[in-house]
Amino acid sequence: MSFLLTCPNCGTREVTDFGFGGEISARPTARPSLRELGEYNYFRRNVAGVQREWWFHRSGCRAWFIAERDTVTNEVLLTELPRGPGSPESVA
Amino acid sequence: MSLAFLSPVAADDVAIARSPMERMAKAAGAEFEVRDGWNVAVRYAGETAERTVAWADVSHLRKWEVEGQGGEFGVARREGDAWVCPLTSDRALVIGGAEPSPTALDVTCNYAALTILGPQARETIARFCALDLRPQHAPPHSFRPGSIARQPGMLVVEAEDRFLLLFGWATAEYMWTVVADAATPLGGRPAGIETIETIEATEDTDA
Amino acid sequence: MSRLPPQPGERIDRQSVLRFTFDGKPVEAFEGDTIGSALFAAGRRTFSRSFKYHRRRGLLCCAGQCPNCIVAVDGAPGVRACVEPVKEGMRVEHLNAQPGLELDVMRATDLVGTRFTPPGFYYKTFIRPRRLWPLYEKVLRHAAGLGVLRKEQADREWRTEYRRRHADVLVVGGGIAGVAAAKQAAAQGADVVLVDEGQVEPVPGVEALGRATALGYFDGMVPVWQGDTLHQIRAPAHVFATGAIEQPLVFAGNDLPGVMLSGGALRLLERYAVSPGTRAVVVSTNDRGLEAAARLHDAGVTIAAVADLRASATEATRALQTRGIAVLQNHTIVAAEGGKQVTRATLGGVEGGNGAAVGGNRAAGAGGNGAGAAAGAEVSFECDLVVVSGGFAPATSLLSQAGARTAYDEARGHFVLADLPPNVFAAGEVAGHADPDAAARSGERAGRQAAGGSPEDAADQPIEQAPTAVPPPVAGQTHGKCFACLCEDVTAKDIKLSIDEGYDSIELSKRYTTVTMGPCQGRMCQLASIRLMAQETGQSLQTVGTTTARPPYISVPMGALAGRPFQPAKRSAIHDRHRELGANIKWAGDWRRAYDYGDPQQEALAVHEAAGLIDVSTLGKLLVRGSEAGEFLDRLYPNRFSDLKPGRIRYGVISSDAGRIVDDGTICRIDEDTYYVTTTSSGAGAVEEWFSWWLADWQMDVRLTDFTQGLAAVNLAGPKAREILGALTDLDCSAEAFKYLDAKHATVAGVPCLILRIGFVGEVGYEIHFAAAHGEHVWDALMQAGREHGIRPFGLEPQRILRLQKMHILVGQDTDSESTPFSAAMPWIVKLDKDADFIGRWALEHYAQEEPAARLVGFTLGDGYVPTEGAVIIDALGAPAGQVTSARFSPVLDRVIGMAWVPAPLARDGATVAISDQGRTVSAHIQTRPFYDPEGEVLRS
Ligand code: FES
Ligand SMILES: [Zn+2]
Repeated sequence: MSFLLTCPNCGTREVTDFGFGGEISARPTARPSLRELGEYNYFRRNVAGVQREWWFHRSGCRAWFIAERDTVTNEVLLTELPRGPGSPESVA
Repeated sequence: MSLAFLSPVAADDVAIARSPMERMAKAAGAEFEVRDGWNVAVRYAGETAERTVAWADVSHLRKWEVEGQGGEFGVARREGDAWVCPLTSDRALVIGGAEPSPTALDVTCNYAALTILGPQARETIARFCALDLRPQHAPPHSFRPGSIARQPGMLVVEAEDRFLLLFGWATAEYMWTVVADAATPLGGRPAGIETIETIEATEDTDA
Repeated sequence: MSRLPPQPGERIDRQSVLRFTFDGKPVEAFEGDTIGSALFAAGRRTFSRSFKYHRRRGLLCCAGQCPNCIVAVDGAPGVRACVEPVKEGMRVEHLNAQPGLELDVMRATDLVGTRFTPPGFYYKTFIRPRRLWPLYEKVLRHAAGLGVLRKEQADREWRTEYRRRHADVLVVGGGIAGVAAAKQAAAQGADVVLVDEGQVEPVPGVEALGRATALGYFDGMVPVWQGDTLHQIRAPAHVFATGAIEQPLVFAGNDLPGVMLSGGALRLLERYAVSPGTRAVVVSTNDRGLEAAARLHDAGVTIAAVADLRASATEATRALQTRGIAVLQNHTIVAAEGGKQVTRATLGGVEGGNGAAVGGNRAAGAGGNGAGAAAGAEVSFECDLVVVSGGFAPATSLLSQAGARTAYDEARGHFVLADLPPNVFAAGEVAGHADPDAAARSGERAGRQAAGGSPEDAADQPIEQAPTAVPPPVAGQTHGKCFACLCEDVTAKDIKLSIDEGYDSIELSKRYTTVTMGPCQGRMCQLASIRLMAQETGQSLQTVGTTTARPPYISVPMGALAGRPFQPAKRSAIHDRHRELGANIKWAGDWRRAYDYGDPQQEALAVHEAAGLIDVSTLGKLLVRGSEAGEFLDRLYPNRFSDLKPGRIRYGVISSDAGRIVDDGTICRIDEDTYYVTTTSSGAGAVEEWFSWWLADWQMDVRLTDFTQGLAAVNLAGPKAREILGALTDLDCSAEAFKYLDAKHATVAGVPCLILRIGFVGEVGYEIHFAAAHGEHVWDALMQAGREHGIRPFGLEPQRILRLQKMHILVGQDTDSESTPFSAAMPWIVKLDKDADFIGRWALEHYAQEEPAARLVGFTLGDGYVPTEGAVIIDALGAPAGQVTSARFSPVLDRVIGMAWVPAPLARDGATVAISDQGRTVSAHIQTRPFYDPEGEVLRS
């Protein structure tokens, strides 16, 4: 695995420049039941296909950003900075 | 309380500030001078102007983080003696020169620094760094945060064949070892900052 | 000797004689010779011993494609003699034969019979009795070894370079098509790199790397191994002009020295003017094999017989006939015999006639049971050379790795490219263009496209060539071993056996028999094994399919993959002082740290009795600024920081949303909008990432800056600490003015510092933070000022003793991924009465209600025995019920103390638990309050 990712701040780098934060999942907004909490903490959709996920530019600007990546081919369709609370990726 | 503890302080004629590569420079035959309290490797025994590639410890360069200043991504602006390097859309790293503003955060010791210069500089860096530094892709004034020898780093293309590398203060001894190991087979050797200043001067007159 | 008079176009310089040694004996060569050509010219026929049966193997392909000529050069194993140029004085040694190539005792595995070495013998033979496995392992390792790698870099004879190269276009293959592609791409302004396994002529404007092998394709990155340099070439477009690989035939004795591919025989002859033999039998499925026969004849080799698997004559047949050489149509070879090398070849008719040339899949059509074998009358010929040509299969491995698909071509009897992914182009023979003009045109076209140009014209259809016969999967099985795979010594029978045992898919059979897994990487055996599989299972070759092509394309030294021999290390700005003091320096995470300075017990005692100084620069240090900084921390920690007064410090434990402990540290409020957060040394990076992750999502008015490396920090502790610090600063250090958990800004020895009065090691202590550049200066000043007070530097080990005495947990040592603040005896850190949500709240609300199964407590032991960390706590029935996480002898308490997870009912003062450790059971007394200064009076004084 040595595909490229484009950091919205720094540009295109080897994937080894980055840390992987996993698929974006929604953090419950209200007090969850124990089951909901367990699902949030321990379950992932794990899609074979395009997924929105977190990446961290560990060796560069040290910023978190979002990528849409095909988990089967590792093709990265887009990368962007998170847009904050209320945006689709928000886990808050 | 103030944030003065983040900053190295100047002192007259006594070396109270040291680069993390001082020991390596000493072992390689550096002669030192005290400048603003820093013990700086100014020249090396037997150093000549001719070189394929040379590396010089410039960790004493002051660095600041400033807010509200972005800029064109990937491009460092030259402002006076300083490089202003945009990290994000509203945060920049200022390298060298005087304190840019009273609210700037002094990050001098977060980053040790090496200048690598000479016709083989690019080839040397290619041996430990995956950044694309071909002239057409990284012309002078390019700014590239990215992995350097498997450590977080930043790189400024100061001029054709002249690169400024920044990396964590604590990784400096490792980094010197890597750079020396890559440069030496290419005929490289360490240089003092006097040499770098001379080259800067020549370049200025050329321009 | 086999050296011929000068040949047209030979690549040797007869004026320049080089000398090298093979197994210690001197050998002469000409400049331009390879090790292989020189040894062959000197009469050597055996170059290696095979992997399993230790059979003799000689030059087969002379092109670096097979496993037969692998030797060690100057100590480096894995060198292919047939392509490695001779250098003056080089030391060449054989591999895999004891005591020597000519007498190899392991040959017994072949002679005794294959009963002991069937396919999968690793899994079958050496299993029982179990206790002998260590011995088996030793023997097997030796038996399997194709070379020995020196462990230490310093012991190795060469240095590996790594070089990153970015290019616009990478062309792999420097033949007609590759060179055309490179030229065309460069002409369009692209930055082009061209690599080839052989010599490449310089191409203007192109970086041409000769004797360089592309090892694989990794998402656009192609590592290229050249001599002692690994080029890591990254390009957005690739042209593969990798040509085709001549295939051997599977027949009895097909591995004997003297059996050679037609291309190999011609290379010896034409490049090095070495005669591959004196009397040859030639067997071919195609014209090229017949053409080779003609060339050999013209060079003076007697052609004893020619067998053509095809039914009808072609132009090439007639060329032989005009030389007076008869061609047996519809014939193939069934056996080669000989001792040290081939002495006799037996030919037979191909069953069913017509050589299956046009008829397509003879294997499947023939319906099993030895079908496809030669039939009819057999004729034998004396010879010392058997030239075979089983057709030319496109070298698609790299293209497959790049995502190309292949499909079986029935007429040609091999797999061809079916489609290519974007920005990957194929040119020349690998794409079906064997004709030189067509190859050049396909190269130009690929180069133009790779450089971003339009294809301009439609691609040529591959030119129809003289038909090729599809050889039978195996011939002459009754005559002896027929090898499908030379690298791993897998015979046609082995593959049949593996299918009988149920490994009836090509990927399973590959793993079981290890066919295609040797140094040739399937180049000599992939097609052969697929044909055998198709025949045995009655499937078509398309259905059987190919195994996944995997890197590396050739065998490379481990050193090439090992990377630079430097391990990234972090060092504190005070590190040199520790070295000078003779510290015992060890890894702690990615830092090099002083574990002790020779006497951890005395170092710990000095902290109690006078003063100690420890370098804690490795602590994570984060500056958190902004109008919402307090709220941000309130959301990240289970306790509160927005109400912390400037100049005060509070302990914090970070928990995850699952309520588990992640890290701990101290937080100091510098002013209204600024906090200074310290983390554990090992957690520094993770906590910074954690903070910035939540910040990225919450988008609060907060800015984070990591000062972990930019600030040095030391902890000065002990009854004399106050006096020592006082001597270096104007700050009022009295207990009243500078209280426990106060943070002050002060100048120490002329350097501005942040001083945190915290209970790091249980005595009055000051943690002093300042710019890393002043590390040695401040350290020296403190040591100097402390000298008269008996100050001692102390390392990580005494620090562990001191902190254990205070029951300060060590996150990651005393806690694991299951530990919560409640079970780890820190319920007070969780403020569920906070209004706002915080990370971990919901889980912690739940844990607050629930009695944990186990709790972290302290224990003491009477008899001086220090249990191993990880020792098991056992319950009354002797069942495991917990574990020891820390244990040390405390010199000040004169007792063994520790921390352990014990069943909750036992987590009370006065309880006893049993610790089972390395065969002994000891009884420990539980204690829940700090062992030293439980009320914190010393600390606050
Ligand atoms: S003979 Fe050298 S690799 Fe085949
Ligand atoms: Zn970045």
